[in-house]
Amino acid sequence: MAKVVGLVNLHSDVSYKGLTERRPVASVSFLGRYGIIDFVLSNMSNSNIDTVGVLIKEKPRSLFKHLGSGNSWNFNSKSGGVSLLYNEKYANNTMYNHDINNIVENSAFIEKAKSDYVVIAPAHIITTMNYAEVVDAHARSGAEITMVYQRINNANETFVGSDYLRLKGKEVAEIKQNKGNRKERNISLETYVINTKVLMSLLKYAKKVSSFFDLKDTLAYLCDERKIMAYEYKGFARCIDSYEAYYKASLEFLDLDVSTQVFKSTWPIFTNTNDTPPTKYKKNANVKKSFVANGAVIDGDVEGSILARNVIIGKNAVVKNCIILNGSVVGNDAHLENVIIDKDARIEKKKVLISEGEPLYVKEGDVV
Amino acid sequence: MGKEIVAMILAGGRGTRLEALTAKVAKPAVYFGGKYRIIDFPLSNCANSGIDVVGVLTQYESVLLGTYVGAGSKWGLDGNKSLAAILPARERGEVGATWYAGTADAIYQNISFLDQYDPEYVLILSGDHIYKMDYADMLAAHKAKGADLTVAVLNVSLEEASRFGIMNTNKDLSIYEFEEKPAKPKSTLASMGIYIFTYKELRKYLIEDAKKEDSKHDFGMNIIPMMLNDKKKLYAYEFAGYWKDVGTVESLWQANMDLLDDKELDLYNIKKDWKIYTEDTLSKPQIIGEEASVKNSLITQGCIVNGDVKGSVLFNNVYIGEGAKVVDSVLMPGVLVEEGAEIYKAIVDEGVVIKSKKVVNKEAKKVELVSDNAR
Repeated sequence: MAKVVGLVNLHSDVSYKGLTERRPVASVSFLGRYGIIDFVLSNMSNSNIDTVGVLIKEKPRSLFKHLGSGNSWNFNSKSGGVSLLYNEKYANNTMYNHDINNIVENSAFIEKAKSDYVVIAPAHIITTMNYAEVVDAHARSGAEITMVYQRINNANETFVGSDYLRLKGKEVAEIKQNKGNRKERNISLETYVINTKVLMSLLKYAKKVSSFFDLKDTLAYLCDERKIMAYEYKGFARCIDSYEAYYKASLEFLDLDVSTQVFKSTWPIFTNTNDTPPTKYKKNANVKKSFVANGAVIDGDVEGSILARNVIIGKNAVVKNCIILNGSVVGNDAHLENVIIDKDARIEKKKVLISEGEPLYVKEGDVV
Repeated sequence: MGKEIVAMILAGGRGTRLEALTAKVAKPAVYFGGKYRIIDFPLSNCANSGIDVVGVLTQYESVLLGTYVGAGSKWGLDGNKSLAAILPARERGEVGATWYAGTADAIYQNISFLDQYDPEYVLILSGDHIYKMDYADMLAAHKAKGADLTVAVLNVSLEEASRFGIMNTNKDLSIYEFEEKPAKPKSTLASMGIYIFTYKELRKYLIEDAKKEDSKHDFGMNIIPMMLNDKKKLYAYEFAGYWKDVGTVESLWQANMDLLDDKELDLYNIKKDWKIYTEDTLSKPQIIGEEASVKNSLITQGCIVNGDVKGSVLFNNVYIGEGAKVVDSVLMPGVLVEEGAEIYKAIVDEGVVIKSKKVVNKEAKKVELVSDNAR
């Protein structure tokens, strides 16, 4: 059996406004009990990849805490494990702080793993991709590089700024940026399978072309001279590349037709445990169409919302179309609509926060 | 180096009064409180009290309990110097295969395990009670009194006292007599089945008791009377919080209902940071549907609720169909309640399917147990 190493690539320009002020996108809370990174890590785990490196770009504190030893994702076998790959040299230099420099700095990780292939995938594109199938197709095709794409018909609304592929048969002919001017595109999911030796040579090559080149730039630059296979992924994919996309994708999961595509008994989504008790619905609780994590205590009206662990909703409070993160408290008789409340914040009683357009944001630990 | 204290949890009981719920699992492994198994409580109490070597003595249906406890990682007991050890009744070198004949015999058969840690004190617990307790406070009391044995007691009402083992004490809480289920109780201090022994004494009495052929090898019936007879120093330690023996279907149901009342056992650490640790299930957050109504209930992750739930406790991956009604009930993991079904005052065992439009226990006079297992 071929040995595969996974690399979670956190080098991207994605941010979610206040939510990513002090944490990377990867550890932003999602759907009440997950971190954004849990999906790609679970996919790797479910694809039987047990050696994983996380290419960390910035603000790693909360991510270190979240990942621990990797046990929660089954990366605790004697042969595998999760390695946090950080490039301190360029941490404060935006132009140089890219994935290629990170892999070069941490090349010992790849060399020691002695793998045949490397799977590289981002955290902010949520999928339930089986990488084992992609690796199989890659091996059968005899290609050195495979890029995964999805054919979408709303490229004018989503994945704007992502790359799309122009295909020639099953090969990638050209890689260009999606400017949102057409609906149908073959969008790159920034997920690659590369022969390990080829990846190592690409790193050297990229440095010769431009020190500012990241992996995406390098592959785009190369695709007319090297054979890059295209692999079509037809499953669930959402690109959470902005604060608005985060809000929209989160609430979209309240639709069972969407959430059942991701939460399947055959494809568990792993995360670390917090030992929170069940959620308590008190006498005045009135909850509809919502996702609720354990440990919450609810005594008000909640509709179309996502409540994370240990959230407290006071008596007769109204919470509509909101995302409330861990440990936040909404006081009695408060009224919230279209609000994202970061962790451990407190909304005083009778407070009214209603947004018509972009959802309001309340910072971690704030009292409003 | 020896440990100051080692805990031993008696988890071998069959729990016949829990009927079908213990047809296939030991009583300590029975589900409780929407997320837990009963044994999570003594194990979490140990971890939170700083007791990090815990023996779990198993006999009846020991396999599931053994895999569940594992090395104790769920309770943070799997470090280099800590451990949860499953100690089943087993074949041993000198004496061959034996069962545990009684509570004292179970500990006696594991003297070599205890000797390895050379503890000063041994805490004996039962694996089937629901409570939060800081054993470190009890140990401090044991040390302060210079006791040979300290028994945790609960002050019960006079009517209830005849159902318990009662400790008759002097003013300083020293015990002068033990009475098992007395018809006319002299005291209302009921034994909680929680003992701290000075190990030297415990070891001596266990060996002595093991030699007696007419002994039932039971702490309450044999060891405590022997020690009282020898004028050893026995003290009661009064515990004031919530404590429940969930020995019957009715009491298990009641203890679950107690969680809905804010005055009872606090799982939410509002007063003290004292989490009960348990297995993490790999399920999504709970989903409450558009037509659902949930009031005065505990619901855990993985549940999907599309009907009405009132005064109930739902374990992971329970599904409530549209128009279904669940009132004053406990639904264990994976229960499927189809559209329009109604359930009143019931415990529904793991994985049971309640068919569409079926009505369970409409009269709701007694607690009904619905299970696919027979007892």
